Amino acid sequence: MSGHHDVSYLAPKDTLWKTIWSWVYTVDHKKIGVMYLSAILLAFFLGGVAAMAVRLELWAPTQTVLERANDGTVTPVTRGVFLDPGIKENGKEVPPNVWYNRAFTLHGAIMVFLFIIPSIPAALGNIFLPIMLGAKDVAFPRLNLFSWYVYVFGGLFAIYSILAGGVETGWTFYTPYSTTTEWGATTAMVLAAFILGFSSIFTGMNFIVTVHKLRAPGMGWFDMPLFVWAVYATAIIQVLATPVLGITLLMLVFERLFKIGIFDPALGGDAVLFQHFFWFYSHPAVYIMILPGFGIASELIAVHCRKRLFGYKAIAFSSIAIAAISFLVWGHHMFLSETAAANIVFSGLTFLVAIPTAIKVFNWLATFYKASISWNTPMLYAAFFIFCFTIGGLTGPPLATLATDIHLHDTYFVVAHFHYVMMGGTVLAFMGGLHHWWPKFTGRMYNEFWARVASVIVFIAFNITFFVQFFLGTQGMPRRYATYDEHFQLLHQISTAGALLLLVGFLIHAAVFAQSLVAGAKAPKNPWGGLSLEWETESPPVEHNFHREPVVTHGPYDYDTVVPAHVDPRDYPLPDPAEVRRVHGDHH
Amino acid sequence: MTSGWLSILDNVAAQGLYALAQTAEPEGWWTRLWFRHSGSTFARSSDQVYDFIFWVSAAFFVPMMVLMVYWGIKYRRRAGVPAQPSPSHNTPLEIAWSVVPTLLMLVMFIWGFQVYIHKFVPPVDAETVYVTAKKWDWEVTYPNGVTPRERTKLTNMDRPVYAFPAGKPIKLVLTSTDVIHSFYIPDFRIKRDCLPNRYTTLWFEAKAPTHTLDDDGKTVKAIDGTGYFLWCAEYCGDFHSQMGAKIAVLSQADYAKWLETQQDTSGIDLVSLGESLHKIQGCATCHSVDGSKGTGPSWKNIWGQTHKFDLGKSSDKAAASRVVDENYIRDSVLTPGLNVVEGYPNQMPAYPNLKPREMIAIITYIQYLSDAGRSEALNKAKTEKTFTDAAAKQGKKPEDLMKPR
Repeated sequence: MSGHHDVSYLAPKDTLWKTIWSWVYTVDHKKIGVMYLSAILLAFFLGGVAAMAVRLELWAPTQTVLERANDGTVTPVTRGVFLDPGIKENGKEVPPNVWYNRAFTLHGAIMVFLFIIPSIPAALGNIFLPIMLGAKDVAFPRLNLFSWYVYVFGGLFAIYSILAGGVETGWTFYTPYSTTTEWGATTAMVLAAFILGFSSIFTGMNFIVTVHKLRAPGMGWFDMPLFVWAVYATAIIQVLATPVLGITLLMLVFERLFKIGIFDPALGGDAVLFQHFFWFYSHPAVYIMILPGFGIASELIAVHCRKRLFGYKAIAFSSIAIAAISFLVWGHHMFLSETAAANIVFSGLTFLVAIPTAIKVFNWLATFYKASISWNTPMLYAAFFIFCFTIGGLTGPPLATLATDIHLHDTYFVVAHFHYVMMGGTVLAFMGGLHHWWPKFTGRMYNEFWARVASVIVFIAFNITFFVQFFLGTQGMPRRYATYDEHFQLLHQISTAGALLLLVGFLIHAAVFAQSLVAGAKAPKNPWGGLSLEWETESPPVEHNFHREPVVTHGPYDYDTVVPAHVDPRDYPLPDPAEVRRVHGDHH
Repeated sequence: MTSGWLSILDNVAAQGLYALAQTAEPEGWWTRLWFRHSGSTFARSSDQVYDFIFWVSAAFFVPMMVLMVYWGIKYRRRAGVPAQPSPSHNTPLEIAWSVVPTLLMLVMFIWGFQVYIHKFVPPVDAETVYVTAKKWDWEVTYPNGVTPRERTKLTNMDRPVYAFPAGKPIKLVLTSTDVIHSFYIPDFRIKRDCLPNRYTTLWFEAKAPTHTLDDDGKTVKAIDGTGYFLWCAEYCGDFHSQMGAKIAVLSQADYAKWLETQQDTSGIDLVSLGESLHKIQGCATCHSVDGSKGTGPSWKNIWGQTHKFDLGKSSDKAAASRVVDENYIRDSVLTPGLNVVEGYPNQMPAYPNLKPREMIAIITYIQYLSDAGRSEALNKAKTEKTFTDAAAKQGKKPEDLMKPR
């Protein structure tokens, strides 16, 4: 190939128009990944705004009283705390409760469908999976671009749905509520999720083929970085489970529009059937959300401990085991409506998934032993991830156990549990991965001090926000409540205070990233001393990722066998005199 | 619903781990911190499973985090010091950390499903109470056919009160008239979905009374300022969070007396009875009494007015309008689709199960709500024979029993 592929993928073209065109029509997985990253960060912001609205509304237990005075005078009606715009729709005032219901629905729908599912695979996975495999691009670059535009199209449907009156069914769209509600633009949001599913399927297919066919010469399956293993396992679930969601959501749309009678008992349907269909996808989807986080945690811990990961194969196989078992546990979402026999079976199957998960955590922890741990921002996030994810994992058994789940089902205990897994797990791992790979894909370093400060604030604030919710749950506070009984107020206020602090932490992160983009120091090839292939190419990588096709001669974590004791891994694989002269960072 | 093999499992469970719970101490501060109250006989049995899981979790979590911090400090990066050689694989260790959690989870699973089976299978001598959930209220029908009309304030909300006897198993048969709801009394540790297309069941036995009968012999009074809550736990729309009720546990004698007074409405005048039916029957969801627009027409000032109909929606194609009077209200309650008022959907369900006096009470209440009919309605209520007889029986004048208006 001609030399113009040896420039950075971020390098502008001759004219502004050509530069813009080089992005919107790109088939470069890195550019597509960066566009995904921008979009999911926007989605994270929007979902975060909705979350703040939810938490602020819960500052006080205030009610909207249904009752009016008998003599015709209107008694003072208590209003919403925060969400109380008094707007009329179809000549009827929208009660404050409905605004709250819309806020938590948007929070859930945006965070799940637009942020967390595409977050790691479609953004960081797109940028790094081919590079880590030593490939020039994904297997189907045009399909990759198509999946990005499908994502944008789905996102536009979601935004239309918000502008056209919002949705208040909850992100789970349970029937027959969702087929009969008179509020908002539910159909548009369901279609948005349907369309986004295709984006997810295309990305998954692309990654599976890429992993199978495009590994660099010399790279066997067990020479792949664990991030690749995790994204591979995720892709399998995406391809197998998402079509079920697609069909289910389509049936829901048909039920709403044409009153077919699948899910609505008033039309002869079955109310719980939808939940079976929905969770047959959406429980595996939980692992679509967390498995890539596991992958990032493995990378962060190995690289920043500069040590071979303990139990590489156990971690790799446990990802595949989790992917397989994830298809067998959906019934635990129906413990309150199903028969005892079904519940006992699903309770037992649900425990199975905990075993490979526990093995992973033990392996990560064992890697700390006799390591050389650099406590920079990515590693702090790896440790915070282990802390929060372990709590998230250990609060799973009370929900898998039938006796205790009956009490805890649909309470704040569940809310706290899945936020510890999704946010304490996936989001913290994502933040760690973002800092870990930021120098590589932007070519800029960030301010380490302020990034650490922000990460510690996020960690503390996260725990304040969500730990109290375990107590709210065990004390009997149900989910999705716009108002609540007075005795829960203190715990709610602690949670809201934590959420405000969490906002501060993320704003500092945003400022650190902005500063880095504008004025960050130029990043070296290998700022942390990683041994996987992405650290062998330029920062930012050239258009075809490598100057010449890499040949793999060692595993991604072979610190003990390939790096001589006196060589700093950041200088590996050298020698290249220009690189040796490079000034090292703050650890020497 | 109680199939044979479940009963067998329940019997096995009673011999096993569940027997532990029966002999356990009552709750202390630890249980109250997590669960506030344990109001049912089996609440502690699932709390003990929770405690077991909690302490197993703590026994893993704390050493793991201590190790992480300790190693994190001990093996922090130092200039020129690479990671020390250490194994990346250790079969006995890996088997141990796979097998031990598996065994512990097996205990959780078995113990958990034994307690669950016990919670799932109602005793044969349980008294059956029927629960109908609807947006956004609970209608509880007792064995004597009564749906109680007692109300109370829950935070700022006007909510129903439902009483249950202490020391007697109650079986609940649950259903819903619209969407999925979930019947949840946290202090009893019971929860079950109410489905629109099938019945589900629950049972419990309340431990000790939380309430006694008040001096009037009709309403309940909290013994120590508490009492339990009933909540809806499955999201059901606008007023999901207000779909609550107060649960009062009474002694069996008080409970019997309370049921009796709830059954007898003769001592309630027609206007007050209509007012309470407006809430209990769910009329309030669609029909306001202050003139504000809802899903159906407000009841304020409609008595004697002419209602114009949407003939497209009405099944009676002949009548374009009717004057609001006794017969019009009666028709609207029994056959709501007959005459549908202009500008409103044809959405109201029929209420064929109202007793004759209840129908009259609703009519009188609507009459009372209009300026033109108010004095006549109050007079009708004061002189109605059922009510005057009930007053005489108590040795009181009718006006003493009537709510001052």
